[in-house]
Amino acid sequence: MALRELPFRTASTLLRDARPAICAAPPASCRYASTEAVKQVEDNSSFSIPPPSEQLAKTFDPIARSRLRRRGGKQLPPSRYQFRPPKYYRGPLHPHQPPPVSDPASRLFVPGPFSLPRLEQTYQSTIASDLLTLTYQHYPPGYRAPKVTQRLREWQGDHPYFKNRPLRPPRGKGDVLRLLTPPRTFRNIPKITKVTLHSMVPLAQSNSAYLHIAGMALQAISNVRITPHKARHSVVQWEVREGRFVSATSTMEREDAQHFLSKLIDVVLPRIKEWKGVPGSTGDGSGNMSFGMTPDQVALFPEIEVNYDAYPPKMIPGCYITIHTDATNDKDARLLLQAIGLPFYGKLKG
Amino acid sequence: MNTGQQTTRRLAAGAGRSVCRSCKDTLSRKYASAAAAAVQTDDSSQHIPPVSQTQDSFRINTGVVLSRPPQITRDLHPLESAFFLYQRRLNERTALPFTRYFYYKKRTTADLEWKRKIKERLTPARDIGRYKGYGDEAWNDELLVGAKESDIHHQVEKLIEDAEDTGSPDGDVAPASNASGTKKEADKIERPMPRITEADLKNDVKSLSRQLQRTLYLLVKDKEGRWIFPQDTFGKETLHNAAGRILVDSCGVNMNTWVVGNAPIGHYQRDYLDALKTASGFNEVGAKTFFMKARIMAGQANLKDNKLGLTDFKWLVKDEIKNEVDRHYWHSVKNMLAER
Repeated sequence: MALRELPFRTASTLLRDARPAICAAPPASCRYASTEAVKQVEDNSSFSIPPPSEQLAKTFDPIARSRLRRRGGKQLPPSRYQFRPPKYYRGPLHPHQPPPVSDPASRLFVPGPFSLPRLEQTYQSTIASDLLTLTYQHYPPGYRAPKVTQRLREWQGDHPYFKNRPLRPPRGKGDVLRLLTPPRTFRNIPKITKVTLHSMVPLAQSNSAYLHIAGMALQAISNVRITPHKARHSVVQWEVREGRFVSATSTMEREDAQHFLSKLIDVVLPRIKEWKGVPGSTGDGSGNMSFGMTPDQVALFPEIEVNYDAYPPKMIPGCYITIHTDATNDKDARLLLQAIGLPFYGKLKG
Repeated sequence: MNTGQQTTRRLAAGAGRSVCRSCKDTLSRKYASAAAAAVQTDDSSQHIPPVSQTQDSFRINTGVVLSRPPQITRDLHPLESAFFLYQRRLNERTALPFTRYFYYKKRTTADLEWKRKIKERLTPARDIGRYKGYGDEAWNDELLVGAKESDIHHQVEKLIEDAEDTGSPDGDVAPASNASGTKKEADKIERPMPRITEADLKNDVKSLSRQLQRTLYLLVKDKEGRWIFPQDTFGKETLHNAAGRILVDSCGVNMNTWVVGNAPIGHYQRDYLDALKTASGFNEVGAKTFFMKARIMAGQANLKDNKLGLTDFKWLVKDEIKNEVDRHYWHSVKNMLAER
């Protein structure tokens, strides 16, 4: 079972012979000064010791052992030997430093990943190589890429304030600095970086239940805590007043984003009646695509459907789904989303 | 078009036959939006190798690497599945408790069932075994020797068992008696399809339902008895069109295929022992094959009445291709085949 082996990179790291190939087969008569000494120090390896007997392994009960040890109250209380990370960070010079976030003892530790998502596996095995083939750009031998000129302006003059200042943006209002698209290689194939759900509920200004329920629904379908947002300006037409909570977002990354997208593409979107697809006019010019879903469509998510009655009627919100990719233009991002199964309709932008 | 690109085009045009037409077009095209602001390149910046007028030529072939992508997820390494189980149990310890009354209303049958099940497995999660994330004994999250909780088949069994165990009407019957033959057909949950198919057991290399976790490639046996990817010479057509034509000529129309992109993904060069003289007066010293990538969506290869004289075909994964093709061919093609 070749598939049961470790991932290729790990395996190759373990199996790689660090020495150059010429020295790979040393002569049998080769002796080192330390050979005898090592034998004297460790006459047998720890790997040669057999594991505990099967009988011992079967009867081993960690709970009973721990109870036996604690019997009689002779053991020290946990606070005397268990490490507890400090609640507040008191600076790098403080003797009591918190452990790194990746340590399960840390207060900030977030467990995961819990699975290897199917979409991720499909991307690695099929989609990435297809995208590389599709977007391949041939350069003839001897080609050298033209030099890119500086798009930002220098600070001109001999004022000391101009020394080492960051460059100035282009002149004028309309000229936007677009992202540069580097030549496509196997290192920069577009991939999905995160997915954002955004739901705006102006009714929440008069009745906060709307925002709570919108938050519950978003959390249920995204598996991520929401962030509520206040209105930044008053807009009369939308009945939005400045400073009131009107919307909620949740941002999914890695495993959550992959599971959400496969759920969306394989379960929810096929069940929507007469869904035309993602509008072709979407895209912000730098590889992020977004589309909206109505309240009826949000209710089709299996997490909401399973206890649909728990949500008050007509309070399930609609939402916008933004898929962030690390493509640098809309064309590449659209190619990636089409490859994972999102159709586009209408005139395509970019 | 600015001066820099004109220079490039002139260079490419002057270089003669060493640059093909599509490359020449590429040179004169804009590469990216950034190239619009390209500075004037001096003549020495583009190094096009000079052409030597020779009478030697190569026969040009198009090959098609027709593949069926993996259909199911791969088996996890035992270390991976143990790691995932460990992380899930850590999650039980760190996550907020399950919001029970949001999902089960009080004094309903669903609530009774929930109470009964949580007493058995101690945790809302159904696939991490009997483990409680809260309390004094939450530290005991490691599996003992021989435990099966991290095995995916065991987890699937547990999930199905949990879904089927809806409890009896009086509610106090042990689940063991429920699992007996008295269960109604409607309560049966559909089992997942086996990951190893019949074709795997019989090692049927002509079947597309073999090796569902890996990419299968179509290999054919040509007139000379060598196993190769389907290939043919091509004349006045593009590589993309030639690939489509070769698929129809070799394996029939009963396949739904997609030729990926317009550029080849690899090439193989075969030198003849003694040069041939072609009709146009060139010395043909070898053959070059450029491989196009294609995917099969549906259908099956059928070699009946094929125009390329093929006698047999096989669907093989990368490791098996190594044993079938000759060594030189393998070294040319191995890097364009997917590991999985």
